[in-house]
Amino acid sequence: MRAILHIDMDAFYASVEQRDHPEWRGKPVIVGGNGKRGVVAAASYEVRQFGVHSAMPMREALQRCPHAICVHPRIAHYQQVSQQVFEIFHQFTPLVEGLSLDEAFLDVTHSQAAMGPAEHIAVQIKQRIRERTQLTASVGVAPNKLVAKIASDLRKPDGIMVVRAEEVTSVLDPLPITRLFGIGARTAPKLAALGIHTFHDLRLAREQLLKAVFGKYTAQYQARAAGVDDRPVIPDWDEKQISAEETFDTDIHEPARLLSALNALADRTATRLRARQLQSACITVKIRRNDFTTFTRQHHFQPATQETQVISQIATQLLLAWLKEHPRTALRLLGVGAGELSEAQQLELFAAPETQRNRALDTTMDKIRERYGTQSLRRADHLKTPLRK
Amino acid sequence: MKFSAEREAMLSPLQAVIGVVERRQTMPILSNVMVMAKSDGLTMTATDLEVELSANGTANVAEPGEITIPGRKLLDIIKALPEKASVTLTVEGERAVIRSGKSRFTLATLPASDFPVIENIEIKQQISLAQTDMKTLLDKTHFSMAQQDVRYYLNGLLFELSGQQLRLVATDGHRLALAEAKLLQPVTTTLQVILPRKGVLELQRVLGNQGDVHISISSNHMRISVDGVRFTSKLIDGRFPDYSRVIPQDPNRIVGAERSSLRAALQRAAILSNEKYRGIRLTLKSGVLVMQAHNPEQEEAEEELEVAHTGEAMEIGFNVNYLLEALTAVDGDQVELGFTDGNSSCLIKSPGAVASRYVVMPMRL
Repeated sequence: MRAILHIDMDAFYASVEQRDHPEWRGKPVIVGGNGKRGVVAAASYEVRQFGVHSAMPMREALQRCPHAICVHPRIAHYQQVSQQVFEIFHQFTPLVEGLSLDEAFLDVTHSQAAMGPAEHIAVQIKQRIRERTQLTASVGVAPNKLVAKIASDLRKPDGIMVVRAEEVTSVLDPLPITRLFGIGARTAPKLAALGIHTFHDLRLAREQLLKAVFGKYTAQYQARAAGVDDRPVIPDWDEKQISAEETFDTDIHEPARLLSALNALADRTATRLRARQLQSACITVKIRRNDFTTFTRQHHFQPATQETQVISQIATQLLLAWLKEHPRTALRLLGVGAGELSEAQQLELFAAPETQRNRALDTTMDKIRERYGTQSLRRADHLKTPLRK
Repeated sequence: MKFSAEREAMLSPLQAVIGVVERRQTMPILSNVMVMAKSDGLTMTATDLEVELSANGTANVAEPGEITIPGRKLLDIIKALPEKASVTLTVEGERAVIRSGKSRFTLATLPASDFPVIENIEIKQQISLAQTDMKTLLDKTHFSMAQQDVRYYLNGLLFELSGQQLRLVATDGHRLALAEAKLLQPVTTTLQVILPRKGVLELQRVLGNQGDVHISISSNHMRISVDGVRFTSKLIDGRFPDYSRVIPQDPNRIVGAERSSLRAALQRAAILSNEKYRGIRLTLKSGVLVMQAHNPEQEEAEEELEVAHTGEAMEIGFNVNYLLEALTAVDGDQVELGFTDGNSSCLIKSPGAVASRYVVMPMRL
């Protein structure tokens, strides 16, 4: 039986702000973009009582809680804190799959032999997070990712919820079906019309009835409702890789936008390789679908490289091949990793002119970005919206 | 076929040709040597289809003929006989019988008519030079040839003839070696041919220290006869890259050093360089060349050498093996290193001399 933890930092951005500003503790704090189109990135528990939640438009949030303290997000700062938290995760298992800055799955199945049962590991992780960052986290402990994620949400904030294999259905059954990933505002009313409101209802519903709603995914959704999920925890980049990844604000399915995002990530990875004077002989593309299933595709090659263009080309081919197998898939995350690293690179006497041009371009771009910032200069194919003619 | 000969008269031609006898038996007959007995003596021939060697020995031929016999077994048997022993070889049916004193060996044979010999070649150009010159040229260049490179034309040595000059060039794409010698007679047309790696290594074994060597070149073959040994090799059918383009013409930083001290310092520093990449960092600053190496265990070596130099301070990385091999091959007690910048090749030669030159591409460390 597997032991999976889902760890979710409580109101992460807002809690970091309250920690850093003691005068805000106990008060409603909203972290989010101001401006008309701004949305709530995080809401402290004090402000949640007013019905404010993340992804709500700022304007609406302020109507509900006019006296809230509004803070502009300091993403770089949250990243640092997140890194400290992830370091703690890695003390318990190498199998850490980060979902965002404040959320991760850990597979501690094999850690139990040395570190005690999973619930004990969960307690220790919470304790170390508190010691290191003065922040709280909620942990779900379960036999799989699906149940662990639902469980962590049941005891928020600062809770631990353990769901044993034999308890899975009894824990899930009474929960509203909207807690199941993939059932949102569009699907829920259709299910309600069929009299399906809870996990229990969905689990026991007749397959024929559900076909109209889920089509060929019926069996999959019924299995999920029963708490069945065998997706593995796919660890983030190992330490022998240099990588860049991006979780999209909204899922992306247009190939052109995916490729431009991928190219930008390839460039970031290549820039990091050059900054650390490393060459890579293996490129990995990480692909996370909107249902959180994660795929990786890899290509080994010689000679090793640190050129943006070469890495972009390889990553593009890997992603295109994957998209061919999975057409019209919406993606939540893309990543480009460079492995099989070496420090040295022997230069060629009879180098192709293209290689020399690429190197000159990379060096120049690196210098400009070093001086004027990483956003100062971008390749046209990394632009999120194409240039107007 | 029947002949008798002294052990040594059989051993020396066998040893001369055994190098090309195939160890991997792609074709069974290639692990055999062809033995030909004629009234004037015997000839042993071996081939790997790329390089053919044949060598003569004196013998008392009672009955002329030709046969092929497993090469390594024949060599081992002859070698193991007592010195100056008299050996008789007869072909009886499909077997070859070797008798010497109270020893008797029966070996399997294959017919000589099946042995793939390189027939007479159509000579396009003939050149002659001192045997020692030829040997020196090979010694000074062969180590830079590529090995099993997909650019097959780099897996060999370029022979370039023009006027009264023979120039050999070898490169594996990372470094290049070039050496020149004077021909006894000028040639009328310029010519470039590539001798494959195997041919180069065998030719080095064939060459001696005295007299001249005569080289015949056809469009597909090169043939050289020296001291009773005839060497024939196929040529690589390909175009050698334009090497003159990658020899630095005017490096702006010239470093002068004593060859043996520089080599010794590099050899010491190399001990702690990364075993896989062999990287070494050279830093040139006011009158001193600093050599630094480190390995994944973070052990470090640092050497300093006083040098004469022109041009500004600079830093550059190399595969230390390439520098050492070039420094071993270059002429003279003093050596000159010409640099342009940290990303450009280094020219190594003896000051004032151009007969041998080495180009090494740097390594990014």
